[in-house]
Amino acid sequence: MMQRDALILGGLLVSPGSALARMPMAYLRTFGPAADPITRLGWGLGLVSIAVVLIIAALLLGSIFHKRRMLPEEPNQLAVRREGGGMRWIYIGVGISSVVLVACMIWTLMTTALVSNPPVAPVLTVQVTASQWWWGLRYVGQDPARTFITANEIHVPVGQPVRFELSSADVIHSFWVPQLAGKMDIIPGQTNVTWLQADRPGVYRGQCAVFCGAEHARMAFVVIADEPKDFSAWLDGQIKQAAMPASGPAEQGARVFLAHCAACHTVRGSGAAGLVGPDLTHLMSRHTLAAGLLPNTPGNLAGWVSNPQHLKPGSRMPNPTLSGPELADVMAYLNTLQ
Amino acid sequence: MKVINPPSIFSMLRLLPFAGLWVLALVMAMSPCETKAADATSSATGATLNFAPGDPAGEWRSQARDYANSRYSPLNQINTENVHNLRIAWTFNDGTLHGHEAAPLVVGDTMYLVTPFPDIAYALDLTQPGAAIKWTYKPNPSPIAIGKACCDVVDRGSAYANGKLIYNLLDDHTVAVDVKTGKEVWRTKMGNVESGETMTMAPFVVGNKVFVGDSGGEMGVHGWIAALDVDTGKELWRAYSTGSDQQVRIGANFKPYYPWMVGKDLGIKTWPAGMWKHGAGSVWGWISYDPDSNLIYYGTSNPGPRVPTQRPGYNLWTSTIFARDADTGMARWAYQYTPHDEWDYDGVNESILMDLPMNGRVRKVLVHFDRNAYAYTIDRTTGEVLMAAPFAYLNWSTGFDMKTGMPIVNPAEEPKPGVKLHVCPPDIGGKDWQPSAASPRTGLVYAGIFNICMDVTDNEVGYIPSTPYDGMNMSRSAAPGGNLGEFMAWNPVTGKKVWSIKEKFMTMSGAVVTGGDVVFYGTADGWFRAVDARNGKVLWSQKLGSGVIGQPITYLGPDHRQYIAIYSGIGGAATVRADKSLKGFPAEGGTLYVFSLNGDSVSNGAGQLNSKNDAAPASANSGGSPTH
Amino acid sequence: MNIRIAQWVLSALTVSVFLTACSRTEGGSAVAPPKQGFPSEEVFDQVPVGHTAGVIGGTTALSTPNPYEGQPQAIQEGKALYRKMNCAGCHAYDGSGNMGPSLIDTYWRYGGLPVQIYKSIHDGRPQGMPAWGDALPPEDIWKIVSYIESLGGTAPATGYQGALQGDRPGEQVAPETLEAPTSTTKGGTSSPPNPGEAKP
Repeated sequence: MMQRDALILGGLLVSPGSALARMPMAYLRTFGPAADPITRLGWGLGLVSIAVVLIIAALLLGSIFHKRRMLPEEPNQLAVRREGGGMRWIYIGVGISSVVLVACMIWTLMTTALVSNPPVAPVLTVQVTASQWWWGLRYVGQDPARTFITANEIHVPVGQPVRFELSSADVIHSFWVPQLAGKMDIIPGQTNVTWLQADRPGVYRGQCAVFCGAEHARMAFVVIADEPKDFSAWLDGQIKQAAMPASGPAEQGARVFLAHCAACHTVRGSGAAGLVGPDLTHLMSRHTLAAGLLPNTPGNLAGWVSNPQHLKPGSRMPNPTLSGPELADVMAYLNTLQ
Repeated sequence: MKVINPPSIFSMLRLLPFAGLWVLALVMAMSPCETKAADATSSATGATLNFAPGDPAGEWRSQARDYANSRYSPLNQINTENVHNLRIAWTFNDGTLHGHEAAPLVVGDTMYLVTPFPDIAYALDLTQPGAAIKWTYKPNPSPIAIGKACCDVVDRGSAYANGKLIYNLLDDHTVAVDVKTGKEVWRTKMGNVESGETMTMAPFVVGNKVFVGDSGGEMGVHGWIAALDVDTGKELWRAYSTGSDQQVRIGANFKPYYPWMVGKDLGIKTWPAGMWKHGAGSVWGWISYDPDSNLIYYGTSNPGPRVPTQRPGYNLWTSTIFARDADTGMARWAYQYTPHDEWDYDGVNESILMDLPMNGRVRKVLVHFDRNAYAYTIDRTTGEVLMAAPFAYLNWSTGFDMKTGMPIVNPAEEPKPGVKLHVCPPDIGGKDWQPSAASPRTGLVYAGIFNICMDVTDNEVGYIPSTPYDGMNMSRSAAPGGNLGEFMAWNPVTGKKVWSIKEKFMTMSGAVVTGGDVVFYGTADGWFRAVDARNGKVLWSQKLGSGVIGQPITYLGPDHRQYIAIYSGIGGAATVRADKSLKGFPAEGGTLYVFSLNGDSVSNGAGQLNSKNDAAPASANSGGSPTH
Repeated sequence: MNIRIAQWVLSALTVSVFLTACSRTEGGSAVAPPKQGFPSEEVFDQVPVGHTAGVIGGTTALSTPNPYEGQPQAIQEGKALYRKMNCAGCHAYDGSGNMGPSLIDTYWRYGGLPVQIYKSIHDGRPQGMPAWGDALPPEDIWKIVSYIESLGGTAPATGYQGALQGDRPGEQVAPETLEAPTSTTKGGTSSPPNPGEAKP
């Protein structure tokens, strides 16, 4: 048992890249200054702990197996001689422990100071509204006209801190991107603020980290760190409105969408501006569906729209009453929402 | 035989004074209707008004009386001395309920009325005793409109032009009716009622153009004003209240006075992405016109939704007054009364155009009482605010910064979702659409205003087409003082009330002021009052069948008698729970009341017209015993 | 031995709690799905807007009860839907009406029985009430009906004949004893002295 665990642990330590790529929630390796100091502290304290365990174990074993010299028998004397001078051990032990503990304490305090605020003022603020069981996002621009709403997929520029203002639409949630930052609870009635920064481009998975209802386990999101050029392109794309299709199945689909879906969903440019469910203006630009549940492929999208209760039972999206042709038309329309 | 000597010249001269008096009496008797009122009324401000288009003094051809929106009539048969003799001359019940907000029009010998939904038009023959109906026009608007009108299914009146009566239907059509026959001449569709848009305002005619606008500030519409050809109903141009400069008809000649309105496409840039499309800015109020500069002046409604945290930014061009070229519709200047409005303070109230001596110069101004409880005197050539002073109780603002031209917002009264606030004035403002009147004789402006506050909680809303885009959960109550209404005389130079009359109920009717120095207004519980325009003394009151929220007019009948006409019929925004629970709040109705001195009219009294239908006077001895 | 039994009992209890909890969370709501399901199309087809030709005393379809009867959670969820779908915008946040008619008085132009209210929401009505049948699934509409029923003006499904024939008590609308409401909140700190007051 122990050997197998040791092998796994060893394997993890030895090949972090390949193993962690298959473990997006692994927090032992992080990629940004909001989390790196904690990771370093974690590993550091871990090594200190291991060292302490080893030293204590060595001393313990040593003292257990230490052979005492047998003295020649003399009358009225104890067989085991009591040696003096043990206080030195205590002084050295307490001294080293204190120094190490104080050092760890200082290191911990420095780490919490480092991660509590970004090194420079954040260039970007994103207001996150957590609902059961999806993430509403509002990007606050310098200009009111560059403020827009999206859902479930956060883009951040590489190497720059981003501020998140977290609020809840219903119950308690928690915002956690393990490879970029620690958890920050989202408490109804107040707005908590956190920040993160991604130093490397890539896709980082996030998760709701406080039980919030039946589909808590399926309330994920992604943070995608883009190079600055790609980030601007993405931002400009998100600000644009969706065009209404002029003809064909997409145009029919738009009408079906407005009748069946517009009460809850927003597609800027179509007249649908419901706030109950996620904004879908640029649905096809996202990598995942249903809050990180499924990859965004046509098959998955059709499956989700036609029967959300099967994939995420309990989610607030009801099964729609669409016929086959209506569903096909709606798919055609959704595919235009790039 | 007695010799009678001819009178000497000396004795004849003695008779002269008596002869003179006799001649004077003869002259006065021959012109009973032209008594010149004593020049005792002095103007407090020296204001002068241009009464173009110079309609006949005895007629009332447009809702506002003239291009300047003065609502002043030079008629003075009825004056402060005799107004207490006003009695009902005749009444007309139009067969509808709901809020009656329109004024009748009188052109020649005919009176024209439009009712609330179903927007029926009547022509009444004033030469007939009891003003018989000449024709009725039933436009049959779509009943879907009933469920889309925020503030009752009202119609604020009609306009007369080129032998046509032009008015708006609740379901987004503008119609023109031949005034002689009542036949529909043209009917233009201006919007789609299914989207939540309606039309309630009175069209405004200048020359051969008629200007109309939409309603729906609470429905997330895309507000606009349009010009139609009077003869064909064809749309000539349309200017939206939000969107690109091209949509808002802003071009190179646009010169706003204040910096926050200078820039390109501000109708998009001052909104979060895409929200300008449902930003409202509807045009449901009054329009004025200056013939010298050929500019029309009108205001836009509040921004949508009524939850300001959802739409950061100045939200141009809502709660804004525009000055536009009447021919092309291109904007000349604009001024936003309430930047980033957070309390539903529409900018649609009337602007009275006048020339005012201020600080030694005569300025061409407009006087406007805004929903936000500030009264503005604005230079109508540039848009510069010359004076802004509160006229009603307010706590949303702590003052007005004349340098920036912006009101100073009180941060404690800015709504946030879920937080209950007590804000004054309420959404209907310190004064709503009920129009004011200006007298060139007293130099003052007269208006019915409110003394109301609201408890409001905002709730985030999504936009679902055809449903409200609103979010304000509120209840209204009286501000300090306990009275809901007040009628005041205002000095537009000093920014002070000269006199005011506190009313227990809302004063939501228009005002009319006459050359006899009488000003008329009505209250929500149905009292119609005549007040001395110089000092605010109530000279006469009459209780009508229902509340008064319409606009009084005065005219000369075919019998050269001066009449006062006013609709009674409570409804409109007055029924949105400010005083419905008060003892004395009236039931609905739909009756036009016409008053004259002693109740005389073509039906009775001295001076009646001979009518073929008049029965021969009954014999004094009929059926009785013969007398000797 | 006693401890073992106690452990078994505890585990059994825990499992049963979880089992019951599973059935209560369908649809993301705490409302149990109705045992008999939702009424079918045939039932709704038999619900007239007014009354049925040739029939005195109404049809039994009018007595269709609200499937969520007796579930307070349905009222809560209906209230949330009432706000989210902008019902509050026309009918006011407390149901007293404004653009749309009052839902708390006993006057119902299209009937105040639960199934008639369902049809009004599902089909829409001519004077501006939109049809929500495409946008909302039946369970959501029934939850809104539950909320409206909780406001007190509706007629009970069992009393459908009386509701059809006007056997309902009338109401006093305008209390005669109130005076002008004055502001209850003391806005003292932020209310400036009003310089616009008339001083003749």
